[in-house]
Amino acid sequence: MVLTIIYRLIIALVIALVGWNLFTEKKFTAQLTAAMVLIPLVLRALMIK
Amino acid sequence: MSIELITFIVMLGTFLLGCFLCKLPIGISMVLASVAGALIGGQGVPVVHLVEGMFAYVDTILVIATAMIFMRVIQESGTLDAICATIVERFHKVPALMLIMIMVIIMFPGMITGSSTAAVLSAGSIMAPVLMMMGVPILETAVILSLGGMLGMIAPPTNLPAMIMCGGVDIPYSGFTLPLILLTFPLAFAFVLVLGLKHVKKMNYAEVRAKLNTEVRKKYGFKIYIPLILVVVLMVLNTAVPAIPDMGMPLVFLICSGVGCFTGRKFNILKVSKNAIQSVLPVMGILMGVGMFIQVMTLTGVRGLIVTSCLSLPSWARYIALSTSIPLFGSVSAFGSASVLGVPFVLSFLAKNEIIVVSALSLIASLGDMMPPTAMAGIFAAQVVGMKDYKQIMKKCLLPCLIILVWGVIFILAANFLEPFIVFH
Amino acid sequence: MKEFFKKPIFPIITASVSLVLAIGIMVAAGVSFVKCWDVPMPIEGPNVTEVKMLSEWYDGLKDGPGDTPVYVLKGEGDGGAMLILGGTHGNEPSGYMSAVTFIETAIIENGTVYVIPYTNISSMTHNDPGEGNLQYFTLQTKSGERIFRFGSRATNPIHQWPDPDVYTHHPSGQQLSGSETRNINRAYPGREDGTLTEQIAFGIAELIRTEDVGITFDLHEASPEYPVINATVAHQDAMTIASEGCINLLLSGIDMALEQSPTNFHGLTHRELGDYTDTMAILMETANASQGRLRGGTSEEQVLGGVDDYYLYSESIGMLFVPWDENHHPIEERCGRHLQGIYEYTMAYNNAYPDKIVTYSGVPSYQELFLDADKEDLGGTQLGKFLR
Repeated sequence: MVLTIIYRLIIALVIALVGWNLFTEKKFTAQLTAAMVLIPLVLRALMIK
Repeated sequence: MSIELITFIVMLGTFLLGCFLCKLPIGISMVLASVAGALIGGQGVPVVHLVEGMFAYVDTILVIATAMIFMRVIQESGTLDAICATIVERFHKVPALMLIMIMVIIMFPGMITGSSTAAVLSAGSIMAPVLMMMGVPILETAVILSLGGMLGMIAPPTNLPAMIMCGGVDIPYSGFTLPLILLTFPLAFAFVLVLGLKHVKKMNYAEVRAKLNTEVRKKYGFKIYIPLILVVVLMVLNTAVPAIPDMGMPLVFLICSGVGCFTGRKFNILKVSKNAIQSVLPVMGILMGVGMFIQVMTLTGVRGLIVTSCLSLPSWARYIALSTSIPLFGSVSAFGSASVLGVPFVLSFLAKNEIIVVSALSLIASLGDMMPPTAMAGIFAAQVVGMKDYKQIMKKCLLPCLIILVWGVIFILAANFLEPFIVFH
Repeated sequence: MKEFFKKPIFPIITASVSLVLAIGIMVAAGVSFVKCWDVPMPIEGPNVTEVKMLSEWYDGLKDGPGDTPVYVLKGEGDGGAMLILGGTHGNEPSGYMSAVTFIETAIIENGTVYVIPYTNISSMTHNDPGEGNLQYFTLQTKSGERIFRFGSRATNPIHQWPDPDVYTHHPSGQQLSGSETRNINRAYPGREDGTLTEQIAFGIAELIRTEDVGITFDLHEASPEYPVINATVAHQDAMTIASEGCINLLLSGIDMALEQSPTNFHGLTHRELGDYTDTMAILMETANASQGRLRGGTSEEQVLGGVDDYYLYSESIGMLFVPWDENHHPIEERCGRHLQGIYEYTMAYNNAYPDKIVTYSGVPSYQELFLDADKEDLGGTQLGKFLR
C-alpha cells in the first residue's frame, strides 16, 4: 500500500516533467508525443486504469 | 487475401509512410498505423483499445524515465569521472581481465532486473567512459553496451522473457541457471574480447592518465561513490534477502538520484531531470505507439495471422521461422515477442526439454531489443556514448546478433542431448 | 501568416492544443474504464438462502476491492459443504457463467453449497492491455437482455500495483514472472499480510477451513493450444473421487482427461487448497477460443460461440490439444462440461463420504445445455434460456 502511494508520487513527478517538456518543445510532433505519453500516466496516477 | 493480411499490410504501409515520407516521429507513425489498422479491420477508431494498449508499457516507461534521471545525476555530480579514473588506474595492466570484468558489470543490472534498458543506462553509462578512455572506439563501446544489456537481460537469475514463457506453459522457473549461464556468458566474454582487446592493448597509459579526471575523487573522497554502491545494494537487496519487499527499479533509481545530489558537484536537479525526460520522450512515445499497435493487431486478428503462419511451417522450417519471427516481432518488444511467439513455439517443441528450449528462445527473444523501431538496447547505447543515431551500432551488431541466434538454435536442436548435462532441479 | 508561426506564442498554442486533445482522449477512455468497475451480479435463484461477502471469513478484505459475494445455497437435509469457484480468471467466461448458472438454477436437497461467481472480483473490473478483449457480452435471458463483463486474468493494477520484477510465491519460494503476482491461481494458500491477491486467496482458504468444505471446484478455461484442456486436475487426495467421476463423465459422452496436480508447481488451487485445507481440490478446464495467441479478431461470436477460423486452421496443422471442427466450442458446451463435471464428481464424493453428502437438482446438464440444443441456439441463446 505504501509502495503504491510512492509509485503514484513517482508517476506524478514524471507527469510534471513530461508536462514541462510539452510546453518547452518547439516541434508540434514532439509536443504530440509528450501529450500522448501523458494519457496513460495520468490515468494510472488517478488510479482509473 | 484475408482481411487480416490486408489489415497488416495497411498497418505496415501507414507506418512506413508516416516514418519515411512524412518524417513523423516513430511513435506518432505507429499511432496512425494502429488507427488505420483498426479502421480496415472494421473496428472504427477504438479510442478505448488504443489507450488500453498503452498501459502495457506504463511500468517500462517509469523505469526508463527514472534510469535516465539517475544516469544524468551521476554524470553531473562527477561520480562517472571518479569511477572511470579508479578502474583505469587499477586494472590497466590486465586488459583482458578488465574487459571481462567490465562486461559482467554492464550485464549485472540486467541480470538482477531482467531489463536491458536498466543495464545500458546504469552500468553501461558508468562503463562507457572507461572503455572509451582506454581506447575502445565510440562505436565498439556502444556495441559492447548493447550486447551486454541484451545478454545481461537473459543471464540468470532474472530472465523475464523466460519467465513469461514459463507462465504461458505453466512450468516453474527453476533449473534455468546453468542453461542460461552457458547461453550468455561465453558469448558475452567472446564479444567483449573481440571488440575491445586489440584497442585496449594499444593503450598508452601515460596519455590516458593525463586525461583522467581525478579531481572530483580527491575533492569529495569516498562519498562520490555512494550513489553507485547504493544502487547495487538496493538492486540485490530483494534477491539476497527475499523477506525484504522488492521496491522496484524506478524507486531504486530515484532514491539513488536523490542521494547523488549531495555526494558530488552541485547541479540543478530539476533542470537535469527535465532534460533527462526530454531525451527519452521519443522512446516513451515509441512504446506508447507499440502498445497501441499490438492491441490493434490482436483486436483485428493480425496477431493470429502472424502466429499461425509461423507455426504452419514444416518442422525444419520452424527453426527458420523462429529465427526470423521472434527477433522481428521483438521490434515491438522482446517481452511481447516472448509472450506472443515464444509461448506457441515452446508448445510446438514439447518433445524437447522445455527448460533448454525456453532458455534458448529467451536468448533469441533478446535480439528484439536490437530491432528497430524500438531497439531499446541500441537506442540507449547510442545515447549513453553520445552518438546521434543507432544505425551504425545496428550494422556492427549484425554479426554478433547472428552468432547469438545460431547459439540459441543449436541449444534447441541439441536440447535433449544437453539435458542430462546442464539441467538440474 | 508566416510571421504568426514564427512567434514564440505559436508553440504554446500547439502545446495547448495537444494537451486538450490528450485530455479529451483521457476523459473518453477513462469514463469507459470506470464503467467496467461495475460488475453485474447473478440474480438470486430459487435456493439462495444468503448472500455473504468473503470478508465474513477474513475481515481484512472488508469493503475493499477484493471483497466478493459468496452465494450460500443451503439444502433442507443435512449434509456436507461444497464450494464452487467461478471467475478465478476474468477472461475465462465459462468459469464464471457456470457459477452464475448454478446460483440461478440449483435446488439443494442435502448439504450446503457456497458459490463464488467472481473469485477474483478485481480481475473482472478491467481488461488486459495488448489482448484487445471485449469489455462486455450480452445474453438474452428469461428477464430480458443481460450484460456480463469479460475481464482479465489478473487483479486490476489500480488495486495492486506496482508488480515486483519477480514474483516469489509464499510459502514455497517458487519464482514466476512479476505480473503473476496478480494471478490468484498462483497465490494460494494466500496470507493475511500479503498482497490483495494473496489476501483473497487466504479468504477462500479460510472459508474452506471454517465451513469444513469437503469438496472444492475451481472452474477455468484454457487456450486451445494449451496442453491441459478439456481436463480435470485433482490434488492427490482427490484422485479417487476424480477417477470415479471422470469415468462417469466419459460414459455420458464427455471426453475428459484427468491429471494429478504436480507437486512442484505451486500457488494453484488444486495444489495448495489440497495441501493447506482438508478439502478435495478439483480444477476443470474447457476450451476458450477468445483466450489464446493463435486466435483471430475479437468478437462476441468468438467469446460465446467459440467461433474462430484461425483455430480451425490451427487444428489442421496439429497445433491444438482439443479437437476443433466447424461446430467450434460454444459456451453451452463449455458450461455444460463444467456443470456436468461438478455433478459427477459430487456424486463420487457422496459415495466416498456418505455422512457428508451434497445433493442438488435443477442445474442444467450437459445434455440439456448442449446436446439437446438446436444448432442455431448455440453461442449464448441456449444458455440464456436457463438464466433468470
